[in-house]
Amino acid sequence: MASSVLLGAWVAAGLTLCMFSFLYKDNPFFRFGEHLYVGISMGYTIVRIYYDVMVKSLYTPVMQEGKWWFLIAAILGLLVLTRFIPKISWLSRISFAVIVGFGSGVAIPRIISSNILQQVQGTLKPILNAGQSSFGMAQFNALLILVGVVTVLIYFFFSIEHKGPIRVAARIGIYFLMINFGAGFGYTVMARMSLLIGRFDDLILFASRDYGYASLVLLGMIAFGLFMWERSSTASFGPDQDPRAAVSDARDEHPPQ
Amino acid sequence: MRELADKLLRMDRRVIFVLIALATLIPLLRPIGFPIRISPEVKRIYDHIESLPAGSVFVLSLDFDPASKPELYPMAVALLNHAFKRDLRVVGLTLWVTGTGMAEKVVSGIASEYGKRRGVDYTFLGYSPGGTNVIINMGQDLAATFPTDHYGVRTADLPVMQGVTSLRQVDYVVSLAAGTPGVESWYVYGKEKYGFELGGGVTAVIAPGLYPFLDTGQINGLIGGLRGAAEYETLIGMKGKAVAGMDAQSATHFIIIGLILLCNLFYFLTPGTRIRSFGSAQNSPGSPREAGR
Repeated sequence: MASSVLLGAWVAAGLTLCMFSFLYKDNPFFRFGEHLYVGISMGYTIVRIYYDVMVKSLYTPVMQEGKWWFLIAAILGLLVLTRFIPKISWLSRISFAVIVGFGSGVAIPRIISSNILQQVQGTLKPILNAGQSSFGMAQFNALLILVGVVTVLIYFFFSIEHKGPIRVAARIGIYFLMINFGAGFGYTVMARMSLLIGRFDDLILFASRDYGYASLVLLGMIAFGLFMWERSSTASFGPDQDPRAAVSDARDEHPPQ
Repeated sequence: MRELADKLLRMDRRVIFVLIALATLIPLLRPIGFPIRISPEVKRIYDHIESLPAGSVFVLSLDFDPASKPELYPMAVALLNHAFKRDLRVVGLTLWVTGTGMAEKVVSGIASEYGKRRGVDYTFLGYSPGGTNVIINMGQDLAATFPTDHYGVRTADLPVMQGVTSLRQVDYVVSLAAGTPGVESWYVYGKEKYGFELGGGVTAVIAPGLYPFLDTGQINGLIGGLRGAAEYETLIGMKGKAVAGMDAQSATHFIIIGLILLCNLFYFLTPGTRIRSFGSAQNSPGSPREAGR
């Protein structure tokens, strides 16, 4: 096995275990992994932006292909940075005006068309076509969607008091919303478990002999490190005198205004 | 009963972590083999790729970063396997800058397994800045949006791109997305205007929000989360990481459903019980505050 792959496996397993160590409690291993993640992802993004944006989309077209008008976009981009110089920060408004104007012009018609008009059409079409065929499951689903859309809209309609039939409809709307939240929560649990499975899958792979039992060795090292860290904390401050806990408690009692 | 409820409701949360870890670990080490039922929305993507003749242009937009790898990477592997098996012309790209390296690795890795030649049978265009604007630009002039591919070769000169000047010549687009820009962006700014067929593969978190698009036919199919990936792997007869993970997924779901039911049962059976109140248990082992130290 290539040494780079082996090294990558050890780093991946080690950092995964560092992050999982938070499940015990906040600790230096977790903080090391957390800070490294933030730094590396930012560094990676900057390098990619440099090559894919600055070189590929600006330097090459301007210097090698003579597309000088690309500089207009570059200047507009640079104007955003004037926010950091108070005297000329007003220049950034030019860039923001272009961004907002262009963004709105592009987005509004498309969003209205696809997220409103086509959705309304999709909601009503099966109902309008219901007369052409017998009432089956598809028609029932369409009716259910229609009832859900209307009752949820009524629930969020605050211009009239919710009483009588409006109250009943709003109440039904709440149930539809709750079902939606439940489905969303269920899917979220599934997603989070999938992430856990992904990491466990890699840890099991890296625990094999081919990878030098990386997961097992590093798990032992981190467990030992946590034990020593706990011991040194207890020895220095006593079991109930951890200064970090005191700071945390003080913050909870007097939250910043 | 009240004592037992009190005890369980004040249980150290690390016990739950251990339970979940075991429920994940044991099925991964000793697979059970729960059956995987294919849902119609996943089957529709499979059927559409099956219906494409060899040489059709298939764009796979890998709009995710390593944070969503466990869910979306198996989908990418399964779709690429299917596309290369069908001898489609595969064009990979990403709208997420942090996913560039991973996306390139999966496209070129699967291509090499099928002996496909870069630039001839497939290419990876890489990342272009602009998010949704990239889609609009691709609809107007693909070579202007990506003047070169990820490897620095001029896009217009690539044999795999012959006859493809914009998204109008693309036969099928699948966006594997973990957020925005993603499937919705491809629909709103791409499909509706340039008329190609679109399918989506997403993380489980955002899947429920895309079902309205599926119902209206705005996307022709949807692969949701690890379960969707496992279904696709089953369809193409490949036992990949998603299928392997489904047993663990089912086991953890059993545990979570059980804990939710148990908590609700105790909550209703013992009215007045305070669940981990900050008065008495704020610094107990495993409490949120204790973990924050």
